[in-house]
Order: sequence, then C-alpha cells, then structure tokens
Amino acid sequence: MKKFTKYEKARIIGARALQISMGAPVLVKTDEMDPIEIALLEFEKGVIPITVRRK
Amino acid sequence: MYFKTRLINTVRVPPDLLGCELDLVIKDLLCESLEGRINKKLGMIVVIINLVEIGEGKILTGDGGIYYETTFDALVYRPQIQELVKGRVVEIVNFGAFVEIGPMDGLVHVSQISDDFISYDEKNGRLVCRESNRAISVGDGLMARIVAVSLNETDPGESKIGLTMRQPALGKFEWIEEDRRRAESD
Repeated sequence: MKKFTKYEKARIIGARALQISMGAPVLVKTDEMDPIEIALLEFEKGVIPITVRRK
Repeated sequence: MYFKTRLINTVRVPPDLLGCELDLVIKDLLCESLEGRINKKLGMIVVIINLVEIGEGKILTGDGGIYYETTFDALVYRPQIQELVKGRVVEIVNFGAFVEIGPMDGLVHVSQISDDFISYDEKNGRLVCRESNRAISVGDGLMARIVAVSLNETDPGESKIGLTMRQPALGKFEWIEEDRRRAESD
C-alpha cells in the first residue's frame, strides 16, 4: 500500500471519496462526515481496498 | 432448443452494495439485467446458472461504481428453423393460434394448421377444420415445426416465431394418434 506517487494518491482518495459519498461502507471508525476527510483518514491507515495498475 | 452457454459480461457494482458479498451482488445484478432479455445470436437468456470467474474490479474516472468483468454460465433458449417443438395453445385468434413453446410463444397461422379449410369459431374460441371437423382450442397440446424466427432485442415481447403443422406427424397430439391408428388398421 506504500509508495504511491502524489498523482496516484490523489486518484485513490478521489475515487474512494466518491464511493463513500455514494453510500459505500466506511472502513474506519470516525465521526467525520465529509467523504474526502474520511477517504484521507482511510488512506493514512492504509485500509483502502484499491490498488494501482501501472502500465 | 435450450443451450448452456458460457458468457462474459461487464457488471457495474454501485458503491452502496460494496459492503455485501461480491459474488451474490454480481449474480443478482446479472440476473436483473440479463434474464428474460433477447440477443439475436444467443436467443433468450432464461436463467443465470452460476458464476465462473469474477475479474479484477476497475474504477473509472467520474464514476463511483466498480466494473467487474464476469464469466458465467447461462441457460439460453434459441428457437431454430426446422426444429420440432411440443407446445400448448395459449390463445386463439381469427388468424391462428398462439402456442407456448418454452419461454416464448409461437404462432401457427390458420393456413398452417391443416390441409383442410379452417374457420374461426368466435363463440367457442376455436379453430375448426371444415372437412374433418377437427378443432383446436386453448389448452390443447400439439407438435409443430419452427419455420420462421424473428427476434427483437429491444422489445422481447415483439419477437415472432412462426410454426407449421402441415406435415405428417404434426398437429394436435390426438390427431397424430388418430392418424397413426388409421395407418395401422389400413
């Protein structure tokens, strides 16, 4: 889960935040309501189930 | 004829279903989108039997859904020209009889019921042969041959299957039996 470029990080957090905003279950315990903040939190904990396929 | 076919389709899983078990969700989505649908090449997809493989999910920009390429087995019904079918009459109209043959209905036109002259008995909802006094009505079982197939992908209900019974050993089961007995006694 480590060593993402800043572009990959932005893409992952963006995609995850969109999923959360559309009703996906949240994978961390938090009172945060903003999907982007939740996505950032999940990213820091390394629990986002998204991988990057580099071409 | 029914066929078991292996198909590949891409399924979009909406984010609110991500918490549930993936294969169940995908099977449900496939059933919803494909069962009862008609494809010109395949015929009608009757039921999705089981999932064979679920590929890696892909996330596209601007959409929170995840796209899975899924391989699955499906039961399809493909009416083929010259195929013999057993069916049951579901409706009689003045131009012929609609016959249920599996998941679809076929039409036996009045001109294709018998070599006899056929008249429509509106009161009793029957089609009657003038010479032999044979008749068909709703509920009768019969044997027919498919002679025309025109499938409509966008509106499955508009698909048409043409049947004929103007051949030896085709027609209502009772007629076939009668004809066979007559031939034996001769």
